[in-house]
Amino acid sequence: MAASVLVPTVVSPEVVSLYIPAIFTGLLVGLIGLLAISYQKNDLHALILTDIVSLGMLILVAAVGTDLAEALILPGLVVELAEILAISEILMSREMRKMDKTVELIPLPLSFNMEILDTAPTFLAIILIIYGAFLSGFTGGAIAGGGILFYVLSKMTRGVPSNTWEGVAGASGIAWCLWIVGFLIFFVAPSYWLLALFLAAFGIFIKVAFKVGLIGVIGREEFKKDKE
Amino acid sequence: MKLGRIWNSLATPKNIPKVFSIILGLVLLAGFIVPLTYNDHQLYPRPTPQLQISEKDPLAPYNRGGIPLEEPGIVKAQYPQFAPSEGMVTGYLSPIAIGVSNTTLYFGTSIYSSPGGLIDEILYYSRGFDTILESSILMMAFVIASWVALHFTMRRREE
Amino acid sequence: MDLATLGGQFLGTIPLGDIVLYLTTFNLFMFGAALVFTAIIAMSRTESQVEAEFGTLNEREKKVSKDEFKIRRFLSIVCGLATAGAMITGDLFNFTLFVCLIGIVNIGIVAAVKEVDVLDSAFQYGIIAMIATLPLFGGAASILATTGTISLLELVNIPTSAFMLFSSILLFIGVAGESGVAPFFATKAEMFRTAGSPFLVIIHLSSLLVIVRTIEILLIINKPFGV
Repeated sequence: MAASVLVPTVVSPEVVSLYIPAIFTGLLVGLIGLLAISYQKNDLHALILTDIVSLGMLILVAAVGTDLAEALILPGLVVELAEILAISEILMSREMRKMDKTVELIPLPLSFNMEILDTAPTFLAIILIIYGAFLSGFTGGAIAGGGILFYVLSKMTRGVPSNTWEGVAGASGIAWCLWIVGFLIFFVAPSYWLLALFLAAFGIFIKVAFKVGLIGVIGREEFKKDKE
Repeated sequence: MKLGRIWNSLATPKNIPKVFSIILGLVLLAGFIVPLTYNDHQLYPRPTPQLQISEKDPLAPYNRGGIPLEEPGIVKAQYPQFAPSEGMVTGYLSPIAIGVSNTTLYFGTSIYSSPGGLIDEILYYSRGFDTILESSILMMAFVIASWVALHFTMRRREE
Repeated sequence: MDLATLGGQFLGTIPLGDIVLYLTTFNLFMFGAALVFTAIIAMSRTESQVEAEFGTLNEREKKVSKDEFKIRRFLSIVCGLATAGAMITGDLFNFTLFVCLIGIVNIGIVAAVKEVDVLDSAFQYGIIAMIATLPLFGGAASILATTGTISLLELVNIPTSAFMLFSSILLFIGVAGESGVAPFFATKAEMFRTAGSPFLVIIHLSSLLVIVRTIEILLIINKPFGV
């Protein structure tokens, strides 16, 4: 196949002509979100509206339209998710202190007590985890983490020992170190790039999967206390 | 008198996000007036949309050439001299990926391609330091959220 | 203009693929200062705050529990390292990610407190930090679009355009929001009303160093003193 079909020397005119409309869209989305934030009266609304603002950010990055832009979107997205995770937890802790009431971490309207929740989760979770391991990388991590989350959320009858949390969190930290080792091998010993690639891909996979799974472990602890 | 009131409202934490979003909104409005320029000599350019798909390429739109483990793909990085094995990750396909791409024309648009492939080249190799920071941001957010949850949201019941 | 005009002597680079860290006298000094301060913080213990009660002769002592002490020290060390990294990075997008890491860790250092007021200002600060990702990443992406590069070593040689100026203003607002400087300082000032120095001091130091570094980067991009 011709090299120009694979990688052109300049960005194609179609992408260039789309740049200005895309930037305007991004600015408009950002403006709508900002306008709403300056009017809102509720802290929870502000938290949700920041998501619209970050959508504008993603459009601004994507407007560049190169492979680099595609790779830069991922950090933007993850930063946004990470911040919303930490800040919503702070908001919850503040509200609980203010009102002196407690809430469940993951409130469910029904007491899920169905036969299918005992039998199906194991099978589905195993399929999701195997598929995630097969994909590796970020997507694999998200899918496997979804599997763990699903398993833990549906099987809430049995409690988890308190040190499970610390164990899983520790493994996730070690996976992060694997990923850094992989990154360094790329530069220290370029001939072992394949090893580095697999270290990085599976380090990220384990880390993301466990992070998503840990949400489930918190939820399960909470359920266990409710049952007592 | 009026200025004093403005200073006072700036000292109330609750008002700060509003003030910030108004200032940012005004600056964004200026973005509609500024002449936008786009340099078409970009790093890591990608082919015209739909071009590789009309060529019936199973790896479309992420085919950047190269033979797995032998020949590097084409990557236009900023500093090729600092990345000795550049293009190898892009060119790499796992055995399963090769198998799947022989059976379907739509391999590139699925999410089978990891590890190896274009995004992994940029995310893990040439701009890998960004991913280290990004995953540590995720980790810090988790440390904060889980610490708050474990120590306050849950322990409060025992207090 | 080259990097030596602003930063003093150019001492060398640390290449990591496309992301090249560079050292000049100026940013090496700030890098060292951030590292030394982090080392001091890592070895120190927290103060305990003593408040006199109104109307009586009693006083109230607020101590930081061991668990809280550990997490705060950990987050402060991360904050110090991120600040040090932001000082020497030679890539615009990398810099914005360092700033985001500093922002989220700053929230974390005060997230462990029990006062409702402090939690409230931490939350408001978090909201600003989230809004600030739009100008931060948006500005960096616009600079990438209009110049075709985000490496500071290349941006030095590219003449300025109006769009680059606009992107730099966006970038500055982003950093200002993320590190909580001048007009948006109230949320951060409220966060200091809790026990736990010296870990709170690293929040101050990091935003100070980041702002100085941002101004240097903006001068590199916009070249007000001629090419």
